[in-house]
Amino acid sequence: MDLDTDVPMEDVSEEQQQSLNQSFDQGSSTAAGGANTSANGATGSGSHKTELNPSSISQLDGWLDKLSKCEPLSEEDVKKLCDMAIDVLQFEENVQPVQVPVTICGDVHGQFHDLMELFKIGGPCPDTNYLFMGDYVDRGYYSVETVSYLVCMKVRFPNRITILRGNHESRQITQVYGFYDECLRKYGSATVWKLFTDLFDYFPITALVDNKVFCLHGGLSPMIETIDQVRELNRIQEVPHEGPMCDLLWSDPDDRGGWGISPRGAGFTFGQDISEQFNHTNDLSLIARAHQLVMEGYSWSHQESVVTIFSAPNYCYRCGNQAAIMEVDEQHNRQFLQYDPSVRPGEPTVTRKTPDYFL
Amino acid sequence: MDAFNVNDDLYPLALLMDELKHDDVANRVEAMQKLDTIAIALGPERTRQELMPFLHEVAQDDEEEVFAVLATKLGDFVPFVGGHQHCQQIISILSVLASLEEPIVRDKAIASLNKISLELTNDELNGIFLQLIETLSTGSWFSSKVAACALYKSVIIKINGVTRKKLLTLYLKLVTDDSPIVRRSAASHLPTLIDKLTEFTAATKNNSADKVNNQDWEIISQMFQFLINDDQDSVKHLSVEVLVSILEFFQSVDDHSHNSEFLVSSLKLVNDESWRVRYAAADKFASVSKNFVSNESDLLKLVDPFISLMKDNEGEVRKAVAKQLPEFCKLLHDNVQNSVDIVLTKIIPIVDELSQDPQENVRASLASTITGLAPILQKQSTIDNLLPIFLMMLKDEFPDVRLNIISNLSVVNEIIGINLLSTNLLPAITELAQDDKWRVRLAIIEYIPKLADQLGVSFFNDELLSLCMSWLWDPVFAIRDAAVNNLKELTIIFGSPWAEREIVDRLLNNKFESIDEKIDYSNFIIRITCLFAITKLVPVIDQQVIISKLLPFIDNLVADRVPNIRFNIAKSYLVVAQTFKTTDDNSELEKLIKADILPSLEKLQNDNDDDVRFFASKSIQEISVLF
Repeated sequence: MDLDTDVPMEDVSEEQQQSLNQSFDQGSSTAAGGANTSANGATGSGSHKTELNPSSISQLDGWLDKLSKCEPLSEEDVKKLCDMAIDVLQFEENVQPVQVPVTICGDVHGQFHDLMELFKIGGPCPDTNYLFMGDYVDRGYYSVETVSYLVCMKVRFPNRITILRGNHESRQITQVYGFYDECLRKYGSATVWKLFTDLFDYFPITALVDNKVFCLHGGLSPMIETIDQVRELNRIQEVPHEGPMCDLLWSDPDDRGGWGISPRGAGFTFGQDISEQFNHTNDLSLIARAHQLVMEGYSWSHQESVVTIFSAPNYCYRCGNQAAIMEVDEQHNRQFLQYDPSVRPGEPTVTRKTPDYFL
Repeated sequence: MDAFNVNDDLYPLALLMDELKHDDVANRVEAMQKLDTIAIALGPERTRQELMPFLHEVAQDDEEEVFAVLATKLGDFVPFVGGHQHCQQIISILSVLASLEEPIVRDKAIASLNKISLELTNDELNGIFLQLIETLSTGSWFSSKVAACALYKSVIIKINGVTRKKLLTLYLKLVTDDSPIVRRSAASHLPTLIDKLTEFTAATKNNSADKVNNQDWEIISQMFQFLINDDQDSVKHLSVEVLVSILEFFQSVDDHSHNSEFLVSSLKLVNDESWRVRYAAADKFASVSKNFVSNESDLLKLVDPFISLMKDNEGEVRKAVAKQLPEFCKLLHDNVQNSVDIVLTKIIPIVDELSQDPQENVRASLASTITGLAPILQKQSTIDNLLPIFLMMLKDEFPDVRLNIISNLSVVNEIIGINLLSTNLLPAITELAQDDKWRVRLAIIEYIPKLADQLGVSFFNDELLSLCMSWLWDPVFAIRDAAVNNLKELTIIFGSPWAEREIVDRLLNNKFESIDEKIDYSNFIIRITCLFAITKLVPVIDQQVIISKLLPFIDNLVADRVPNIRFNIAKSYLVVAQTFKTTDDNSELEKLIKADILPSLEKLQNDNDDDVRFFASKSIQEISVLF
């Protein structure tokens, strides 16, 4: 999975920076609202500036209703949704605090019907709290519906669901792995792709569950020793090709100790010594991450200091893997729930028995 | 997309004409989507004179995406050109599109042509439309002939006998075309044509001068003979559908004189060397057989072919014929003496074999239909012959097999009675209640109210109640949810006192036989599930129980540390209030709402969590509307 370094990204990040400044200006113009938020954010309760007004709520509920039937929103509605989402997400932290109980999920990759299956297994949102660790788009056939649904849920119930950024929530990767083409096919233009990829820049990159479970898409970075260093990053930008933010979204744990070069061409591999040191330094019990296909849906590494969670069953409609989610209760007990693909109307049903040479 | 106002109609018009010439395909597609707006703005006259010639050019030279939209849009264009008398231009554009090689464009053009045909007068059909069909049918390239095949159905019963004969002869040419893709198209549209003739014959009651006559049938039967002997199995397998349509025609006019020939054809298809043909024959077996019911011996001749399909060495064929099992057996049952013997001695042994088929899909297919045999076999034979197969399939390693059997058991209830079924099935049910696959567990839960109703309360309490309670603690939400609903259904069946004693007291930890049964409320999921269950019971349980037991339980959770519980409490209060509203004398209850529910909700309205505040306010608002 090499990065295509030919795509120039500078202009995009510039533009992004501008729009960020604008929204901060707006924030300060609404006076105390903005200031309040950062205070709240630190304590972990309500991290958006104002409560939704009744008309936004009924609009969001209408969208959720439509999306739950796997019908995409209109381009105008996506625009409104993304504007509302920026209002919520820009005030979240790089290390977003999350309360227990919470259900932690991994990659979804546009497999919308399996996302609905996930909610059948774990319980519907908002009754159940969710933390998704990125990679909502690409590969599956319903990236648009999947990411619209999750963002809509985030705006409607900001305290009940946390959505982190994965390495696929990026302009470059989505042009190669399907989200860009899907937007073009479903909307006839790249507008929706632009709206969503601009929004992705605001997604938080990590979360901290009750100060004990550190959640992120990829893994650790040689340039990050403490969680406070993550808090200091400027995350509102396209995923860079290197550096700490890139590593957090791209790295993988490995059986070999120390840091290693990642075969992915971005991020690093890190060994058990690194994970244990990081958990010790930051007083963590666990690092939860996604990013890698695991056949049972979840997989322990580094003597239970790292867990990989993958929530796209029969990944790419052919890998034959189970999916899993991890419930963390008030006493920090963990329970893994595994599940199989949902019944997929109108999608190719490929036999789940994958030949050995494929794996 | 249609953010188009009447005011700014004229400016976008020129713009859109330009857009249709835009360099980017996406823009042209989008402009094409607004074609009807342009036409309305132009009015019929200018549409005919300016827009249509332009579109004619577009249809010669653009991308397939644009064609596809154009083809769809033109289907609704008749009113825009000023009615059906001006449809010539539309039809000629569509005929260009219909002759294209790209199937998506072609299919859309054909659909539009068929749609337009409904608006034409018979004269117009006989004129331009018929000519269109002839031109396309005799085209030099395969794509126009493929398109032609799909158009015959629009005219076939709107023309006189002579023209029809001419048209059928033309169609015969398509059926025998050199190119298999044309033959395939002709074969797949032939059944619709024949069905139209059947309809027509029924409507005219044979009085018309243009009634379908033997010469017509001569041609059709020639077509069938060609198809059934086609050297391409992708064409040949379509002849099964043709046969069904032909059989249905003769059945509808009560003519059984050709049955023996058709039977020969049927047997030929069943024994074909290509599995796709056998598959098609298996898939339509009952539809074919039901046309032979007039003669017992014909029907009996189909039994052996049926069995040979069940033993076919291709799994897909066995899977298809397994689906036909109950329908075919019912045909035997209704029309043949000693049918039960035949089913028992000839078919059941093969069913037994199929139930152990090496392919899981075949077993799953059989599992979905096998219970349908119970009404045919009646009580004793079902017990002796089918029940053992059911029990074995309930232990199948493939979950779909187990699931299909369970979801179809109610048919069996009616035949052998619930008591016998339950005593035989109970061990299987308790085993499946712990099945690894949650959908299997779900199917069992959904089956429980039906069982409970017929088992009676004491048997239920002894055998199934603890199972029903245990589902509440399932790791999968969908199962917990079904378990909650199940408790509500059971309360409706067994009544409020039973529910208070057996369910409520257990949920509230007032009653447990051993320490293992005591509910541990420290877990969030357990608390919220109890809350869901209690809330679900509110509308179906006695008011006294709500006041003395359910409401205090809800009150207790107002200060729960998990916000998700607190906002569900807000929702539960609303359910309680709504239930109170439905009782006749609710003055006492109103006091309770004022003294207990509203103060709690007001407390929640000042919660530090947004969602708790939202749902509390919502409940307060809705309660204030009620009282």
